[in-house]
Amino acid sequence: MGDHSPGFESDLDEGSIVARAQDGDLAAFEHLVLTYQYRLFRLAYRMLNDRGEAEDIVQETLTTSWCALPMLADADAFGGWIYRLATNKCLDVLRKRSAHAESIVDSDDMEAIPGVRARSLPAGLDPAHEAEWSAEQDGLTALLKTLPPAQRACWLLREMHGRSYAEIGVTLKMSPAAVRGTLARARHQIAEGMSQWR
Amino acid sequence: MALDDVPRLGCGRSIDSIWATIDRPPTAHEEQCEHCQTARTRLERLSEATRELRESDLHDPALKPGPGIKDAIMDVARAEVRRGSRILLRSAGNGTTEISEQALSSIVRSAAAAIPGVHSRRCRIEIRPAAAALAGEDHPSGPTGTAATSGPRLIVNLRVAAAPGIDIPLMAEALRHEISNAIPAGVGIGAGTVNITVEDLYDV
Repeated sequence: MGDHSPGFESDLDEGSIVARAQDGDLAAFEHLVLTYQYRLFRLAYRMLNDRGEAEDIVQETLTTSWCALPMLADADAFGGWIYRLATNKCLDVLRKRSAHAESIVDSDDMEAIPGVRARSLPAGLDPAHEAEWSAEQDGLTALLKTLPPAQRACWLLREMHGRSYAEIGVTLKMSPAAVRGTLARARHQIAEGMSQWR
Repeated sequence: MALDDVPRLGCGRSIDSIWATIDRPPTAHEEQCEHCQTARTRLERLSEATRELRESDLHDPALKPGPGIKDAIMDVARAEVRRGSRILLRSAGNGTTEISEQALSSIVRSAAAAIPGVHSRRCRIEIRPAAAALAGEDHPSGPTGTAATSGPRLIVNLRVAAAPGIDIPLMAEALRHEISNAIPAGVGIGAGTVNITVEDLYDV
């Protein structure tokens, strides 16, 4: 007995793992860290485009979650809760960034805008699908950077992480209908941007 | 309000409605409407790129945090480990004996693991002191003797998730039996009451 209870069944449902972590079980908490650190990193990286800051978000979010876990009323709500913590930390970072550098244009971002970047890419006649796909992805990620933070969060949470409208709404303090509208605008903007590319 | 904000095409349809059926063949209207066709082509391209990005991000080794991150998180957790409250097992003139709630819960959990179709969740344990144990001084029992029968009694409140379709009363009885045996065997105190709450059904 002790920190790593040996009776940790491998087929446990997530709610039960969360409940054990709430009671202070470190092995259960470690399992949650292993499960969520990659998801949260992908979210934070696509929000912030900075590895170091994304790692900070993962670390802060999961560390905070350990202390706050006992207060979580519903063990099955852990996923939504941890995504909410991480998303709001990302939005905080972006707010601080824009407060610090209101008028500075990031040269990396300029280069990443598809219209600018496309000129340096080979013409779209290349039949190699792989190359084409990765070019499409470059375009998509570059356009993503141009979306306003809340729209970007909305798009990432839904399209990359499959979170529900209701949950995204709670995270971004919007109604599910507003989430739907924000997503539609994000898709529209990205699709427009991609169509102007090449 | 937000619904009216949704971008609309020249034909009046929303981008959303095209997106919703992007994986299906075009509708009769979409086949004839120029606006819809353009939008559909663009959204199909976006849909494909989205799917590709999701896949490649998932498997991209560069999109993982460094190994030190998990260690740093666990270091903090270990430093602030929670053991729950301490339960006073015995108080006498020559000292007290306490056990952490967490140590007791781990006995409860390993006992519960023996019952199929049930996952233990949160566990709260209290103690009801026996009148004799409270009086302390003139405790008549032998050196180790009768703690399990006449000493303080534990009250175990265990929440569980059960497999769907399981016979809950039967499962709860088996669980209670298992826990009631494991606690005296593990710490030498009787489990007076074992309250079980099924708070969820888990997907198998």
